[in-house]
Amino acid sequence: MPCQPPRGLCVPFPKLLCLTVIQTTGRLAYRHLLEWARRARLELVDIRVTGPKAFRDVQVDESNMLLWHGFIVPDNPPYNKGAFRIEINFPAEYPFKPPKIHFKTKIYHPNIDEKGQVCLPIISAENWKPATKTDQVIQALVALVNDPEPEHPLRADLAEEYIKDRKKFMKNAEEFTKKHSERRPPE
Amino acid sequence: MGDEVREADGEKRVEAPTNQDNLIMEQQRQIEEEISEAIPLVGVKEDLLCALEKEYAADPIYTMKAKDLSSKYSSIRRMRPDGNCFFRAFAYAYFERLLTNKDEYKSFYDIVSKSKDDLIELGFPQFTLEDFYDTFMEVVERIGGGEMAQDELYELFNVTGQSNYIVVYLRLITSGKLQRDADFYLNFIDGNRTMTAFCHQEVEPMFKESDHIHIIALSAALNVGVRVRYMDRGDSAQVIAHDFPEGTTPAVHLLYRPGHYDILYEH
Repeated sequence: MPCQPPRGLCVPFPKLLCLTVIQTTGRLAYRHLLEWARRARLELVDIRVTGPKAFRDVQVDESNMLLWHGFIVPDNPPYNKGAFRIEINFPAEYPFKPPKIHFKTKIYHPNIDEKGQVCLPIISAENWKPATKTDQVIQALVALVNDPEPEHPLRADLAEEYIKDRKKFMKNAEEFTKKHSERRPPE
Repeated sequence: MGDEVREADGEKRVEAPTNQDNLIMEQQRQIEEEISEAIPLVGVKEDLLCALEKEYAADPIYTMKAKDLSSKYSSIRRMRPDGNCFFRAFAYAYFERLLTNKDEYKSFYDIVSKSKDDLIELGFPQFTLEDFYDTFMEVVERIGGGEMAQDELYELFNVTGQSNYIVVYLRLITSGKLQRDADFYLNFIDGNRTMTAFCHQEVEPMFKESDHIHIIALSAALNVGVRVRYMDRGDSAQVIAHDFPEGTTPAVHLLYRPGHYDILYEH
């Protein structure tokens, strides 16, 4: 049995490891090992072909298919003047464990904290379903950015402002967006 | 998100209580994971009476029930208690049976090969579904091709990725059945949840434990009879059997002890 890395995978598996896997777990398991990160790979193709317009310029390094970068490009004010860089981290156990999302661009938003953490139910450990597509995750994220949910905030101060003084919130958020957000990549 | 320890950096600490909860939950999850990972996904076949008598040496009620059980069953195969034990036990026990049962294999193959289109019709995302289906069918085809030996099945079920792909696909089949026959199955669930919500919360996520409703739906969807032996602290001397769906001949025998399923083998 030839011991070659699968197409597109840059880091070849050590020969000894391959042989051990074949001997101890059979051919099928071996094939599966070769297809490490297969699902993340499939997701990437899917997102590039059919992905939402509000998620652009997706960059993935061939040496690590489990770490994606891209820009969230919201439609709704006060965020529609900028773009927000996010990082998606797929755990080694993906798709049995959910991906994690971080904002790398600062954003003035009740559901995203200063560290870029976002509380998105679809990828919480409790709710995660292995058949959920990344595309669905992105759509949920974009929807949350466009329409904040102040009922379960990560930043209570912003949630309060959003509920009590929407005008002030919009003004602050717009200024914050102008100052910190990035240029919107073309579609 | 909970694994990042938040330091006290400044004024905005309003969210601290929620994050504290998350941290505790995350830690609890990790502890559970560590315990469960010490046990193989699928264990070796053990002598039933030996195994259970050792486990319940100081427990007269369970010892009595172990004796009763051993009059019908010779061996037990333990599953990792990770919330997937019902699905994994079901798959393993049934696949093992199919290795030598050609007629049953054919009708099973016909049912599962149609399942993908049914699920897509119900609105599951096609390409993720196909990913699970393909892996599942690959294993099924190898079983039918006569290429697979007992120990290969055992190895395969102990490779986390493979084993979990099979569990996921059975969860999807179960979800599909529950949603298609929602009118009937709604009678079995508490509260005001819709069937879709129930499936999203209790069936499709990994590591969620199975209840009667999961067993009924899966056994009905695949036309595979399941006999579950209930072993608990109840005062009956016998280990009560339940058949799913009712009235069918069981192809799979499982032992239930509160919160957990293992495989049983008849004499």
